[in-house]
Amino acid sequence: MDDVVTDIPPPSRFMLEDLNNFTPPSPPLPSPFLVFSTLDSSKSFHPSILIIAMSSPSLHFLHHLSSKTLIGTLVLPEFPFSANSVEPLLSDKSCNIYALNDSDRLIMIALVQYSVTSERSHAVAKLLIGERIIPERVLILDSVQSRNFRGKLSPDDIFAVKLETSFERRSSDTGDSPLIKGLDYFPSGSVVDGLAASLLSRCQLKKIKGTLCVSWPHFGVSVMSLVKSLLLKGALAGINHSSDADLEDEYLRFSRSKDFHLDSELYT
Amino acid sequence: MEFYVEEGKELEQNCSTLILPALSIGNVGQLAVDLLISSLKAEKIGYLDDPNILPCVGNDAYWPSPPGDLTLPLEAYESSSSALTLVQQRSPVVKGMMVEYAKNLANFASSNGKKHVIILSSLDFGRWHTIDVSSGLQVYYLSTSNIDGTDEDCERLGWNRLQEYNPSQRMWKYLNTLAEEGSTLEEDLPFEELGDEDYYPSLPFAALFSCFKAKGLKVTCLLCYCSEGDNIPEGFHLAEAASKLMGLSQNEFHGNEAGRWIIPYSWKSVYGPPADISLF
Repeated sequence: MDDVVTDIPPPSRFMLEDLNNFTPPSPPLPSPFLVFSTLDSSKSFHPSILIIAMSSPSLHFLHHLSSKTLIGTLVLPEFPFSANSVEPLLSDKSCNIYALNDSDRLIMIALVQYSVTSERSHAVAKLLIGERIIPERVLILDSVQSRNFRGKLSPDDIFAVKLETSFERRSSDTGDSPLIKGLDYFPSGSVVDGLAASLLSRCQLKKIKGTLCVSWPHFGVSVMSLVKSLLLKGALAGINHSSDADLEDEYLRFSRSKDFHLDSELYT
Repeated sequence: MEFYVEEGKELEQNCSTLILPALSIGNVGQLAVDLLISSLKAEKIGYLDDPNILPCVGNDAYWPSPPGDLTLPLEAYESSSSALTLVQQRSPVVKGMMVEYAKNLANFASSNGKKHVIILSSLDFGRWHTIDVSSGLQVYYLSTSNIDGTDEDCERLGWNRLQEYNPSQRMWKYLNTLAEEGSTLEEDLPFEELGDEDYYPSLPFAALFSCFKAKGLKVTCLLCYCSEGDNIPEGFHLAEAASKLMGLSQNEFHGNEAGRWIIPYSWKSVYGPPADISLF
């Protein structure tokens, strides 16, 4: 039975240390930094679109996009390189940055494969947007966070919703094609936190056209198909991609290994 | 902390009173500020960006239309007819950075011509020593008007000064030291074990009170006791108290609830979705 005294409070309520002026801060961590393959350390990038993927379905689809070239990485010092492979793998704890090859405009893709804490998000967002990378438009792909969502969520539901900066909303009004089509807005009263929130906030503050798309559930072939379809009809329209059945089979195996709903103490 | 003004907007010089919440049990200050923004139909004029605030984004908290207006964790609103600026905070402060955050907010208020700051917050009912059930939901206050924390306007409104406030008490004095420019929280507190008398100065409202005071601004904290639960009534109570303190007239409000209040659109889901009736 739940212990209401000692259980972690729901997200809208505070821990005692959250309400204490004299709680000591956490020890400072070394700053994150960007490394690019170009020798020119002052070179900045001006992509037409910057796609930042965090959700499992988007990471899986974009990882297998063959028409991209690795051009850099964002180093978070708390994640050592030693565990990563030479050739990028989905299991690496990394944030590699790619440029898409077969496009007449520069599209950059960042695959965020480590978990960035909320406390680190502000610093990471500053690096990805607005300093060396100055995008015209940004698309952020994350999953709905059930702890912050006030509506009903069922594993059988498959959906995606969006949030946009005011500049992106205005560009839709003036005829610019949206990066993600046909989605409803995220419902009022629910929130998104963490790195996705930091990135979209930064876009709003810097007057950049930004879209955050959150999908549900976290894993599953159906949600990956949804995300893939949204990208190919929107931000990646016209881009060559691999679309073989092996990709979906591989993701099905990956999803089963991650889907904790299937874990049960009944089956030992 | 940087302030980003919305396109085409600017901070009004005549809005010399600033209202903001201090994080507390039941999120009461934040609920009260939500009500004031919604009911005064205050206009969003900009965003505050501070690395000491955890990130969050959402859809418009106040109005269903036009759809999709983005909400950020720290936003500034103005009601020029009421000469008010309101700052709403939607997410917690990074652990250990409350005083830094309070200093940054105090710098913002001071450099933007604010003269009076009203902090709305709540206190844990479990800490209430002198229970007076005859007085109903009492409002307590703390003011910079006098050294002992009293204020004539608040007394006239029938509120009680926070009795536990003692400016000579060690933690209040330590907060005053921290509120000065260049001071930072020491890794180990310069005191041994903390006692009951150290509780009130440890709360976020106290950090804000001390930092705004250090900037020479007039500060009034309005507080009420509550427990965790449905804290909307306390939110109404504090919003009502703030409007009385500022002498806001009925016609500055645009609502139907109890004659003046507009319930923010986001409140319709404040307690999550309804229970799954298929369980029954």
